[in-house]
Amino acid sequence: MPAKPILRLRGVRKIFGRFTALHGIDLDIEEGEFFTIVGPSGSGKSTIIRLLVGMDEVTSGEIWLRDKRIDQTPANLRPTCMVFQSLALFPHMSVGQNIEFPLKLRKIEPAKRKARALELLKLLHLPEHYYDKRVTECSGGERQRIALARALAFDPEILFFDEPLSALDYRLRKSLEKELKSLHARTGKTFVYITHSLEEAMVMSDRIAIMKTGRFEQISDADEIYSKPVSRFVAEFMGEVNLFDVTATAGRIEGAGLSAAQGAATRPMADKIAATRGATLMIRPEYVQFLQDGENADFEVTGTLQGIYALGSRIHYEIRTESGQILTVEKLREDRHDGREGDTVRLGWNADSAHVIEEPAFEEQMA
Amino acid sequence: METSRTTRIVLMIYGIGIIAFLYLPLVSVAFASVSKARYLTFPIRRYTTGWFADALASKEVHMLAMTSLKIAMIVTILSMIIGFFGALAFARYQWRYRSLFQKLVLLPIFFPQTVLGLALLMWFNSIGIIPSWKTAIVAHLVWIAPIATLIVAIRAYSFDPALEEAARDMGASTPVILREITLPLLMPGIVAAGLFSFLLSWGNFPLSLFTTGADSTLPEWLYAKMVSGYSPLVPTLGILSVIGSFLLIIVAFAGLAIYRALRPQK
Repeated sequence: MPAKPILRLRGVRKIFGRFTALHGIDLDIEEGEFFTIVGPSGSGKSTIIRLLVGMDEVTSGEIWLRDKRIDQTPANLRPTCMVFQSLALFPHMSVGQNIEFPLKLRKIEPAKRKARALELLKLLHLPEHYYDKRVTECSGGERQRIALARALAFDPEILFFDEPLSALDYRLRKSLEKELKSLHARTGKTFVYITHSLEEAMVMSDRIAIMKTGRFEQISDADEIYSKPVSRFVAEFMGEVNLFDVTATAGRIEGAGLSAAQGAATRPMADKIAATRGATLMIRPEYVQFLQDGENADFEVTGTLQGIYALGSRIHYEIRTESGQILTVEKLREDRHDGREGDTVRLGWNADSAHVIEEPAFEEQMA
Repeated sequence: METSRTTRIVLMIYGIGIIAFLYLPLVSVAFASVSKARYLTFPIRRYTTGWFADALASKEVHMLAMTSLKIAMIVTILSMIIGFFGALAFARYQWRYRSLFQKLVLLPIFFPQTVLGLALLMWFNSIGIIPSWKTAIVAHLVWIAPIATLIVAIRAYSFDPALEEAARDMGASTPVILREITLPLLMPGIVAAGLFSFLLSWGNFPLSLFTTGADSTLPEWLYAKMVSGYSPLVPTLGILSVIGSFLLIIVAFAGLAIYRALRPQK
């Protein structure tokens, strides 16, 4: 029996003029969870977070924090705090004054404020003498930590993050992702994070919600979202993917350029495909094998190798199938395929690494 | 890029030319104020500081300076207040008629001041107000407050709205946000606006001419004396007025430097 959710959204809608940004969202976030909302720009993720912290008002629906309904509570009276995309550090204050600002508002005496600020500097691995430093003199990563310290200062119930890492360079972002995850573990607080970067979400989160045009497409852990997406949108949003429009009759799976073995391995998949109006077969690039002569797999495709791209530790191969579709195959450098552009190759994968998305192909949806 | 010798010489001549064009008139006034002769002729035969002593001792000059100062001080304070709130409305808040407001607020800057002065005089007369130094304040404000608003607005435009949102999110109420975040961040703009307001009011002639009634400001008096009854007191007072403005600017910069130096601690 899981604990009672700390944050509950019930039928939350937000309409701006004629534009509906959120279509009746329901969501439960558990105490102590690292929950990430991912979506492309315009998907409504920023709208959600602005409603949650109280910077915008819901059009209808309810937001509950534990047993208190908070959707009508102004932002300054909610016991939550947000780390802004721009960080919003006050440039006219020192690092210490920034961190103490929420404490000063709560009329905490100066000595206690300072002690708390120093404690937070330590928690975020910042040197103590930064207390008197001007925030404008700090580096990007340091400013990030100061913003975190300030957000944690008054011990908020939930910490919200609005893409705080998006302005940083790649290396710094990677290290801060890990640091955020460890901070989450050390503080035990509930983190609600929004980002357009799936990689960021996957590294840090307990659960991920994928958003599209004001609705959640899928809410699950990183593994499930990656390997069992509910829609083509989620599959494609979660990195490189190969998709085939497939049909099935009498245990036989058919798709353009695809040859599927018939038997126990593919039977459940075929039944599932047969039961839907339209289905997509999904296979991630790292599960596709280059088949040697005489080697066989549940699913096979023949095509021409038309591109080889080295991505550091991994190598991407682009293969044009006989039906004209482009497939991506990914191999670790040590497992590289010795082939040349223009070679004819046979690719294959087994049923257990593939996944069926029960959704008609894009063209059919349009029709 | 390497600057060639010719370019450097041309730039030098150009620079000196500009400086001369800007400051030569002022320098000649300065000479006139220290010349013993009644009318300025070069070369100056005998120098004197007598006119300065006369000016500083004169009751009339005190009165003039006080009137100018009163007007300029009040215009400065009001312009800073109007500029602050105006700039918030101008730059920080989205509202329906904002774009119209932005245009209308700036319009008075483009009126010829003499026309504006005349219009204000007629308006004061028609509503039965007798012009005095107090009406001059209103006249100056019509022209100067928009400039002050513009100066503060430039600062307000560079202001990240997330700062106020963040303060609210951490628990600050609207008055606290205004006091702790908005005001300190706009302060450099407000101070600059105040400085400009003071200088523009202190040196203003066309608006004062129409709207001071029986009172007289320094520029008005200088003009009147030029037209009839010139004495070397005119350039002397002119120079004193310029020195006053310079002092104000120096004090302002010193103040800003001290403020910056003290800011990190509290």
